[in-house]
Amino acid sequence: MMLRVSVLLSLSALSACATYSPQAPVSTSTPAVVTESAPVATSAPVITSPEPIRVEPAPRPTTPAPETIPQRRTEPATPASTLLASVDEAMAAGDLERAAALSERALRISPRDAYLWYRLANIRYVQRQYSEAEGFARRALSFAGNDRALTQQINQLLTQLAAAN
Amino acid sequence: MTKRRVSRKKQQTKRFLPRLLLKLFLAATVAVAIWCVFIDIKIRRDFEALQWSLPARIYARPVELYAGAQLNIADLSDTLQRLGYRRSSNISGPGEYSAGDSRVRLWTRGFDFWDGEEPSIYVDVNFLGRRIDSLRGDQNTGELALVRLEPVEIAQINPDTGEDRLPLTLNDVPPDLLNAVVAVEDHRFYSHFGIDPIGIMRAFVTNLRAGGIVQGGSTLTQQLVKNLYLTQDRTFRRKVEEALMALSLEIHFSKDEILAAYMNEVFLGQEGSRAIHGFALAAEHYFGRPLMELPLEDLALLAGLPRGASYYHPRRNPQRAVERRNVVLSQMVNQGYITQAQFDQARARPLQVAERPAQRGSGYPAFMELVRADLARDYDADALQTEGLRIFTTLDLRVQNTMETALNDAVAAVEVPASPGSPAGDALEAAMVITDASTGEVRALAGSRRSGYTGFNRAMRASRPIGSLVKPAVMLTALETGRYTLASVLKDEPVTIPLNNRDTWTPRNYDNQMYGDVYLFDALQRSMNLATVDLGMEIGVPNVINTLRKLGFDGPVQPYPSVLLGSVNMTPLQVAGMYQTLASNGFRSPLRAVEAVTTGSGERLARYGIGSEQVADPTSMFQLEWAMQGVFERGTARAMLNRLDRRLPLAGKTGTTNDLRDSWFAGYGGDLVGVVWLGHDDNRETGLTGSSGALRVWTDIMNRVEIQPRQNIAPADVSWQRVSAQATRNESARDCRSPLMLPLREGQSAAPSVNCESGDSVIERIFDRLRNL
Repeated sequence: MMLRVSVLLSLSALSACATYSPQAPVSTSTPAVVTESAPVATSAPVITSPEPIRVEPAPRPTTPAPETIPQRRTEPATPASTLLASVDEAMAAGDLERAAALSERALRISPRDAYLWYRLANIRYVQRQYSEAEGFARRALSFAGNDRALTQQINQLLTQLAAAN
Repeated sequence: MTKRRVSRKKQQTKRFLPRLLLKLFLAATVAVAIWCVFIDIKIRRDFEALQWSLPARIYARPVELYAGAQLNIADLSDTLQRLGYRRSSNISGPGEYSAGDSRVRLWTRGFDFWDGEEPSIYVDVNFLGRRIDSLRGDQNTGELALVRLEPVEIAQINPDTGEDRLPLTLNDVPPDLLNAVVAVEDHRFYSHFGIDPIGIMRAFVTNLRAGGIVQGGSTLTQQLVKNLYLTQDRTFRRKVEEALMALSLEIHFSKDEILAAYMNEVFLGQEGSRAIHGFALAAEHYFGRPLMELPLEDLALLAGLPRGASYYHPRRNPQRAVERRNVVLSQMVNQGYITQAQFDQARARPLQVAERPAQRGSGYPAFMELVRADLARDYDADALQTEGLRIFTTLDLRVQNTMETALNDAVAAVEVPASPGSPAGDALEAAMVITDASTGEVRALAGSRRSGYTGFNRAMRASRPIGSLVKPAVMLTALETGRYTLASVLKDEPVTIPLNNRDTWTPRNYDNQMYGDVYLFDALQRSMNLATVDLGMEIGVPNVINTLRKLGFDGPVQPYPSVLLGSVNMTPLQVAGMYQTLASNGFRSPLRAVEAVTTGSGERLARYGIGSEQVADPTSMFQLEWAMQGVFERGTARAMLNRLDRRLPLAGKTGTTNDLRDSWFAGYGGDLVGVVWLGHDDNRETGLTGSSGALRVWTDIMNRVEIQPRQNIAPADVSWQRVSAQATRNESARDCRSPLMLPLREGQSAAPSVNCESGDSVIERIFDRLRNL
């Protein structure tokens, strides 16, 4: 009896640590790419776009931002990838609040997607809302799991946030 | 002398009379002129500044369609019906849909959201079980990733006048409607100058021939004036004034401006205290669809309503309404606006009004109270009643409707009947809050067990002791000190605690048992009071209160030891706020009911985004989570294990207060947090524990809304360690024959009396490594 209980317990313990599976097939990120047109670590975060969307630095001068944002695969189109394309557009147009709204919309569909939390953290950082940015970055970190490239990006942002505060 | 004087007087009088008349005439002319100028100025000023008070419109969260979305055909069909989509086998335009066994095809209308415009699009939705399998567009759009429907309007905040309208421009008015209105109300509209003597004569003749009033003599311009300065006064002076105003309007404004104002202003029906003005709102009110989607016969019906909105009311007096509609149609064909074929076809159509007006105002009173409370921070009542704001809320209609439908029966199923002889009081009451587990958005709210109840909102206002719901905060405080682990051994023994006022406090376990040495996790799962007090007194009551604050509770707390057993009052909404932080693994996201506010034309005014503040360290949270999942697996919620089988793991906690006055359950899955409170308004005993009452209601409702399992990643510094199955502080009693595996913080280990980690075989260590991956 005791044995069965303990097996049950360890199984449930195992399941507790092994049940993570992303809800949407979107959690892969690939190493960052820096577009040629982007200025080097001066004004806005560099946005790289999967599709040939014209990328321009956000018009508002901001504090130095993370130099790179990890890119992810876009095939096939998912709700998150579709919305991220719109996030990029909104960022390029300088409408940061719209970009935040779109990221949140994506998060409602894929709430455990570390990259989406990271994007939101990044937008808040550019908006100089540092404490919110930190909250989102830390949440991104908690979902990043084994994604080392993303973890590194998030930690870099956290370092910048610590310096900005 | 006298005579002469008299005659002179006569002479004077003879000359005086015409002069007086002249003077009077001049004075009258001047007065009339001043009157005219006054009227002219007034009408110009009023009409230029013409701005209707527009109620704020409140929308539910829009339904998102994407592959994998948790939505079945019935849910989608229900939403489309609420949006007034017309079921049709051949989808030819926006606002139409068809539903089959495993697919729904529809053409959305598009909507201006705060984060951008959602286009009108055709989409073919394929379902697999209770989820969406794929979305396809037409040949041009191909496979679609994401489509957002228009949001369902759930309520509005009306101006004191009760007037309601959906303002439209002339471009938004179907030509058939313009023609119908002009044909039936004022067919010389484009040629007269505000008043129409010929029209009056013609109407007179027409009416004589028809043997009744089918045509009126006053022009649209006059009718507009009448509507704008609505008065019961029917004097001659009033008539003249109206005519002068009409003339003045025609001089200063174009026909289109006048017609557009008329289309918006005209009174077309009454629903309770709400007055339906303008054709756009009338279309929604009578047909449940936008004006642009209505066929000719429905537009003709609307065009017939200004003559007598009550007399020709299509729901109350369908026969008269159809006759009036056909009169409008015949005027249209007589005046060449439609062909004979169109006329014959439209005339033959039966009346098809929406069965009931779209649900508004009284729809979700408890949730609306929360929305109003949220809005009151940034908007005054006047702005909400007059500026036509669009309020986008977080309400999920699928969740809200499912909960409302099931709550009353679920409560009835656990209610303990009053014992014979005792006076029967009010029935057992309930409140429930459901929020999004990661964003803090309120998805559903019930202020009573009764659906649509408009009285006391218990979810927001019933502030009750939370009992054992406080225990996770006690455990979390302990875990965060770094001095405790899930394997810490606590004393579940009698204790008497001296209080400041020389009184003492002697807590007891619910079942009056004592369990001796118990693990920290076990004290939580089986909700042991004595062990919790033992722990809480060691870590300090102020630290526990500090944790409550960090988790998001901002109400009053007295720093007495009894806080450790939940003698702190919270509303169900406050409990939801606190458990929200647990559900999102220690990230506090304040609860929100409003997501964004835009102007009537879709311009973004405010957005209330997700908050996120890390208030507890991930490893402590992971340990707490493990313990709270155990509440279902082996603790106070295990009775529901079978009913929730395929939804596990879930996490939660029961709560019971003194003398069984309150029955609580707060629990969460991967997607939702749910809090249920059961109790009596007069604070009588319920006869229910958290397990026998609220937990069962929670299980019933959360099963119906299809709560998703928890998914947790172990932080890097969690190490799974073996401890003896039985907690003990006596090292010689250590028993490692069938140890438990617990997640501990790396670097921490269980006390020697229970630690079973030493003497591992190599195979066990490798197995351990694998487990940690």
